Amino acid sequence: MRDELLKSFVDMDEQEAVRIARELIETDGGAAAVLDTCKEAMEEVGRLFEAGEYFLSELIAAGDMFNQIMEFTLPKLQGGEVASIGTMVLGTVLGDVHNIGKDIFKVMAEASGINVIDIGIDLPHEKFVEAIKEHKPELVGMSCLITLGVDSMKRTIEVIREAGLRDDIKIIIGGGRVSQAVMEHVGADAWADDAARGVRLSKELLGKE
Amino acid sequence: MVSPEMQKLAEERAARMQAAIELKEPDRVPFLGLGGDVIAAYAGITAHEYEFDYEKNRAAVIKWLKDFPADSATGGLGGLDNLTMSVAFVDFPDLANQFFMVNGPMNDVLDMKFARFPGRQLDANSSRQFIGGKNMEAEEYDELIADPVKFSYEKILPRISNNLKDLGSPTSLAAMARLGMVKAQQAAEMGKLAQALAELGYPRGGGMTYAFAPLDYIGDHLRDLPNVVLDIRRYPDKVKAAAEAILEVLVKWTLQGKAAGAKTASFPLHLNEYLSPKLYREFYWPTLKEYILRVRAEGMNSRVFCEGWHDPHLDTFLDLPAGWGYVALEKTDVRKAKEMLQGHTCISGGIDVGVVISGTPAKIDEYMKALLGDMMPGGGYICGPNVGNLPRETPIENIAAVYEAVEKYGKY
Repeated sequence: MRDELLKSFVDMDEQEAVRIARELIETDGGAAAVLDTCKEAMEEVGRLFEAGEYFLSELIAAGDMFNQIMEFTLPKLQGGEVASIGTMVLGTVLGDVHNIGKDIFKVMAEASGINVIDIGIDLPHEKFVEAIKEHKPELVGMSCLITLGVDSMKRTIEVIREAGLRDDIKIIIGGGRVSQAVMEHVGADAWADDAARGVRLSKELLGKE
Repeated sequence: MVSPEMQKLAEERAARMQAAIELKEPDRVPFLGLGGDVIAAYAGITAHEYEFDYEKNRAAVIKWLKDFPADSATGGLGGLDNLTMSVAFVDFPDLANQFFMVNGPMNDVLDMKFARFPGRQLDANSSRQFIGGKNMEAEEYDELIADPVKFSYEKILPRISNNLKDLGSPTSLAAMARLGMVKAQQAAEMGKLAQALAELGYPRGGGMTYAFAPLDYIGDHLRDLPNVVLDIRRYPDKVKAAAEAILEVLVKWTLQGKAAGAKTASFPLHLNEYLSPKLYREFYWPTLKEYILRVRAEGMNSRVFCEGWHDPHLDTFLDLPAGWGYVALEKTDVRKAKEMLQGHTCISGGIDVGVVISGTPAKIDEYMKALLGDMMPGGGYICGPNVGNLPRETPIENIAAVYEAVEKYGKY
C-alpha cells in the first residue's frame, strides 16, 4: 500500500492518494508509514521539479495533498515519531507583504523534516533577532518577492550581525528577485528562487545531504 | 509649448520603438530606461509623498527624466491592478478604464483589501503592493461563467472593497461620488504631466492599454493563485468555461482603450510561471492567444510581460503571426529567446535589476556591452530592465552606468 500511496501522490492523483492514506493509517504502524511515504513523495516531487519535469503547479498540488493527509495523520502519531533534522526561523522581510513563495517553501521544508517557525510577513529586522534568540535555530530563511526586499534583507542581516548572532546561524534567502549577485550583496549563505532548490540547500546547510 | 526640436525627438523615439517591434534595426537600440522606487529617492521625497502628492510626484518624474532620458517615459502616479472594477463597469466605457489602476488617493476612497500603500498600510518608504486573496468559492464557478460582469459587480466588488461592501448604502454611494471627484482632479494633474513629458520630447498618447490572460483574472482577483492551480486539476471544465466567458469581457474592455487612442495591448502574465507546458497549453494559452489575435484584428499590437521563468512556454508565441508584438522577459534567458523568436517576435528586457542594484559601474559596463552585443544584431530588440522597479537604495552611479553603456554600445 505504501508503494501505491507513493505513486498516486507523485502522479498528482489527489483523490487516490488521500484514499490510500486513510486506509493505510488504520493498519498497524500506519500513521508513521503514511508520514514517511508522504515525505518520500514530497522529496520525489522536489526532485522532479529540479529536473524540469514538474512545475510550481505540481509543488502547490503536492503541498496541498501533504497538508490534507497530515491533518488526519499527525494526531495519530506517537511522540518521537516526528523527527526533526533542524530548526529554521522563516519570514518575509520588512516592507514586503507577500507570502505565496514562503508558504510553498514552508510545506516542502516541513515535509523534509525541518522544524519551521514561520514568523510572518513585513517583519521589522528586530523580529528576526528576537526569534533567533527565542528558538535558537540553525537556519534563518528570509523571503522577498519585490526588489525592495533586497535592501531589506541586507539590513536585517546587518542587524542580526550587530546582535552578535550571525555566526550562530546559516542564512538562506529566497524569492522571485534573489540571485547569486543578490546573495553576495546582502551577505547570506545561500539563495534559492524556487522552493525545491531552497529545501535542498537548507538540508545542505544543516549538513544533512 | 512644445518646441520643434522636442517634437522631432518624440517622433524619433516613437519610430525607434516601432522599428524594433516591426523586427527591424533602428538607428540605435530603443531603450526603455530604468525607474521605480528610486525616482522618489532621487528627488529626495518619500515613497508616500510620491504616491499621494501630485506636484511632488510630477517634479520627481521630470527631474528623473531630465537626468536619465530614454526612449519611453517612466514614472508617474502608479497604481495597483483593480481589474474587478473594470470588469464590473465594462458597460460604461467612460469609466471602466478609469477604475483599472487604483492609486493611493483612489484607495483612500475605496479601501481595497488587496492594496497596501506607503504611509498608509506600509512604511512611508515601502513599495505599494498587491496582495492576492480568495474572494470566490469553488462552488461559484457556474455563477461566474453565466455572467462575469454581474458576478464581479454583485459578488466580488463588495468582498474586495471595504467601502463598497454594502452596495447601494450611503457609504458605498459616497465612496463612488468621492471617487469621481478624485478622478477629475487626477485627470487635470495627468494633463500637466503629459504636457511636461511632451516638452521633454516624449511621444504623446497612442500608448498602451492593459489586457490580461483570462486565467489571471481568476487567479489574481477571484480564487487566489494557489487555488486556481488546484482548480485546474479538480474542476478543469469549469476553469476552461470561465476563462472563455471572461475573455469576451476583457477583449471588450481592451478595445475601449483602443477607442481612447491606445495602440498596444499590454498583458502582464502572472500564472504563466506556475504552469507546466501541458497545463499552460491546455488552460492558459488558448484564451490568451485568442485575445492577442482579436485585438490584432482590430489593429492593435500586443506586449506580453512574462513574469518569472517563461522558458518552457516561449515556443507558444510561434503560434502567432510574425510581427504580432513583443515579449518583455523577466528571468527567461533573452539570448535563448532571441534564438527561438528572431524574425518573428521582438524581445524586450535583458537588464537584470539585481546586477544594477548590487554591481559596480565597471561590471555594469561589461554586462551591458555583452548584452547589447548579443541582442542587437538583426534588430527586433528593445533594451530594458527585466522588472520595472529599482529600489530606493539603488546606487545612482550604477544607474548612470547603464545609460552610458546604452549610449556607448547602442548604435547600429
